[in-house]
Amino acid sequence: MATQTDGCGAPAGGVPIKDAGNQAIIQGRVTRDGAPAQAGYARLLNSGGDFVAEVPLGEDGGFRFFAAPGEWTLRVLAPGGLRAERAVTAATGQIRELEVAV
Amino acid sequence: MSRSDVLVDADWVEAHRDDPGVVLVEVDEDTSAYDKGHIRGAVKIDWKQDLQDPVRRDFVDRAGFASLLSARGISNDDTVILYGGNNNWFAAYAYWYFRLYGHQNVKLLDGGRKKWELDSRELVTDVPQRAATSYTASDQDAAIRAFRDEVVAAIGTKNLVDVRSPDEFAGRLLAPAHLPQEQAQRGGHVPTRGTSPGPRPPRKTGHSNPMTRCGTCTQAPGSTSGRTRSRTAGSARGRRTPGSCCTSCSAS
Repeated sequence: MATQTDGCGAPAGGVPIKDAGNQAIIQGRVTRDGAPAQAGYARLLNSGGDFVAEVPLGEDGGFRFFAAPGEWTLRVLAPGGLRAERAVTAATGQIRELEVAV
Repeated sequence: MSRSDVLVDADWVEAHRDDPGVVLVEVDEDTSAYDKGHIRGAVKIDWKQDLQDPVRRDFVDRAGFASLLSARGISNDDTVILYGGNNNWFAAYAYWYFRLYGHQNVKLLDGGRKKWELDSRELVTDVPQRAATSYTASDQDAAIRAFRDEVVAAIGTKNLVDVRSPDEFAGRLLAPAHLPQEQAQRGGHVPTRGTSPGPRPPRKTGHSNPMTRCGTCTQAPGSTSGRTRSRTAGSARGRRTPGSCCTSCSAS
């Protein structure tokens, strides 16, 4: 898996990848009124509901997390108080793709 | 230390950002964020270029910090309001940096850049022109910085606080979940550490917790038995303290 990082921060839209490799990836795209939601954040919560990570949405509304196998919750926050949540199960070597409308 | 000693809210910033003696400073982990839009009047500090010695990977020295703040037009008696992305992660780092060099009148914008954005408040691309100053930095305040040997000696005797996510603390993740899981070779945490995740969004509102845990406090609220609680970040390899960060940070 090829990755590109610039520091230890959370790049908008997530760190680019070519494939899942040995990672357990949760990624997706957020839409608002049918178009990519350019402003907003995607947050990853663990099975206990605790905050684990957060990334700004990319220009295409995209986000990506490198999780561990198991149950997670994806929460999206957007201007105007908009919220959305999705339960997701991550697995090693696979990409879980989510489409979220706010 | 009360909440108002270290935090201002967005309404305060909108009311006071043009006051003489008030300087807004944006410090992001994503150092390009400022250029895409920032709070009107804010100047930028780049933690990679401005807050790291490029050779020693330590903090810039006293003269370097004085030179940086002079160039940004910040005076010793200015009220500095710091804010940034990822729930003020690197803004909190800069807060500690300012305190390390003796700047006492420094605060964080509650909720950071994220809450400002989610509130749909104004962001601009105009870069303010501030006249240079002659800032004088103090010697580093050793009371708020712990070195490796001090941390090792603190195991079992002082309260160590792990500011990573709960899943990194537990060893389920080896790196922050926004990065590939290929950094630390061994998951988990230093013995006796408690956990208090660092860049988490403090409450549902995006505000900081009632007593902020911003990476600057040596005595955390709720600390028991009178033991000093030292704040640390990263695994036993110390890989994630901003500025002496993960491999990719140090190499960049």
